[in-house]
Amino acid sequence: MAEKQNKVLLEVDHLTKYFNTPRGPLHAVDGVSFTIEEGKTLGIVGESGCGKSTTGRTIIKLLEPTGGKILFEGQDITGYSRSRMRKLRTEMTMIFQDPFSSLDPRQSVMQLISEPIREHHLLHGKEAIARRTLELMDIVGLARRFVNSYPHELDGGRRQRIGIARALAVNPKLVVCDEPVSALDVSIQAQILNLLKQLQKDIGLTYIFITHDLSVVKYFSDDIAVMYLGQMVEKANSDELFARPLHPYTQALLSAIPIPVVGGDKKPRKLIRGEITSPVNLPDQCRFLKRCDECQKQCESAKNPELREMTPGHFVACHCVN
Amino acid sequence: MSDNILEIKDLVVHFETDDGVVHAINGLDISIPREKTLGLVGETGAGKTTTALSVLNLVPNPPGKIKSGSILLDGKDVLQMSDSELEAMRGNDVAMIFQDPMTALNPVMTIGDQIAESIELHQHISAKESFEKAKELLKMVGIAENRAYDYPHQFSGGMRQRAVIAIALACEPKLLLADEPTTALDVTIQAQVLTLMKDLIDRRHMSMLLITHDLGVVAETCDDVAVMYAGRIVEIGTADEVFNATRHPYTEGLFNSLPNLHERGEELIPIKGLMPDPMDLPQGCAFAPRCSYATEACTKAVPELRTMGGTHYVACSAYDNPSFCLRRNANG
Repeated sequence: MAEKQNKVLLEVDHLTKYFNTPRGPLHAVDGVSFTIEEGKTLGIVGESGCGKSTTGRTIIKLLEPTGGKILFEGQDITGYSRSRMRKLRTEMTMIFQDPFSSLDPRQSVMQLISEPIREHHLLHGKEAIARRTLELMDIVGLARRFVNSYPHELDGGRRQRIGIARALAVNPKLVVCDEPVSALDVSIQAQILNLLKQLQKDIGLTYIFITHDLSVVKYFSDDIAVMYLGQMVEKANSDELFARPLHPYTQALLSAIPIPVVGGDKKPRKLIRGEITSPVNLPDQCRFLKRCDECQKQCESAKNPELREMTPGHFVACHCVN
Repeated sequence: MSDNILEIKDLVVHFETDDGVVHAINGLDISIPREKTLGLVGETGAGKTTTALSVLNLVPNPPGKIKSGSILLDGKDVLQMSDSELEAMRGNDVAMIFQDPMTALNPVMTIGDQIAESIELHQHISAKESFEKAKELLKMVGIAENRAYDYPHQFSGGMRQRAVIAIALACEPKLLLADEPTTALDVTIQAQVLTLMKDLIDRRHMSMLLITHDLGVVAETCDDVAVMYAGRIVEIGTADEVFNATRHPYTEGLFNSLPNLHERGEELIPIKGLMPDPMDLPQGCAFAPRCSYATEACTKAVPELRTMGGTHYVACSAYDNPSFCLRRNANG
């Protein structure tokens, strides 16, 4: 039996987003390309300042892209105006990192969850909206008794469930999750991750999962893209990336994760030198150059490496990988 | 002289607020042997930070009150010290590193001046000498000397935390309290900072209390581990004992909640429910309402720490039954 070919939901082609600063353009996102099939998850990982959140926000056009193309279900939405995007806002939503600052403290849970429904006129009549709100609370596992509570009365895990319910309220196809569990304790983190995964199974959601936590991303994603200074340096299937990381940065990133195991054979740490450099006024050469141990003479004179497909589906941007 | 640099016995700390009494720490016993690192693990609100602040006798009062217990630092009880003794102890004998390096540093003072300040204060040497010493300390934590003239906003997060470490180590304390020192940092920078801390502590024969919620960080840095829940220690032992022969259901729950790096896709097993409200702790074992092994007996009495052999202690009444065994251990 031939493997079922899934429909491509989102295609991003050489997306760039620059911010103008007094010292020159800041390359937040610099030529990022990928596609996501319906019902799949793409994980985007990298350190703070690598442009992963900006990528997420630019894709759903909370930020205007500087260049490149965004195709959502085949239509080019790159140039869509705000009012045209408004209709699409029911198709693509976002879950934010901080459940403390992303919720209006003066709205009750009922108001918060029903806001997107009212805003997009998805349902009419107070009763229908209230029924749907309670239903959403059931879906995200938030007890109905909290319907009249305010965010400050709830803990982080429950607040994040409100954020998820708000994202689901419009029946989206694509959800951009920007560090959805980073602010939560591990035991609560597991509850939220299980919920997101269950929702994907039940309603076939497509996720872009942005995180700095590599163990979370591996658990969650089908494909993983590693970003460094606005560019994608490696992209592969999740298992493949963890089994055979090719880019020196990915290798260092993986080896930096503290592993909760005592005793046994542990590989020695591969520390990377220095810190992420400034994304302003970048020269046309490998951006990881100054921190790289593999770095050879050719890298210094060569241009910024392009993504190359090494094995089927495994892309890497490095001059030293053969 | 005692073998332990720090011995906390039966510590009880309450916060008396208008809404009621917050039972932050409810009878805590820990000790740290000389030149060892103890990892204190637990979720938000378990009382980890309050424990560290108690060691410095810095629990904000009011509303915080240290109700009872003793904290022996190098044999002397911190809770009995006079203000001037406390002042001499803080920074000199014990130093603390906070989670967020931006709020721990003074934004209108250069990094060099901030390091020099604590040296000048504690070692009574001239400002010029202290500043020279501050530069040396910066070099020791891997920052170029000329950056001593910079302000905190000119430093990145990792460099700020290095500067904070330099301040903490300025007077060569015997004990370092590190409260989530790398939580605000990226993994690559976290690895650098942890390696640096471990190295400095080994070289200077210091002891450390490392507070963290990250079991990975504990495994990499600590000799001993104490797991804290609702103001009590529920399990304590060497890292090997706690990680490889886990005894407490809560510790097991923490391990089960972690996404496994080796196997993907299987469902995580979260701990059901939430941490109890410290203003309204349940009767008996505080973990019982969330515990999948709990029996009626658990809700009656608070379990005491009992030895499981060697240095491994656990507070769980399930072990009244000699054949009790956690699922994690049952399957090998």
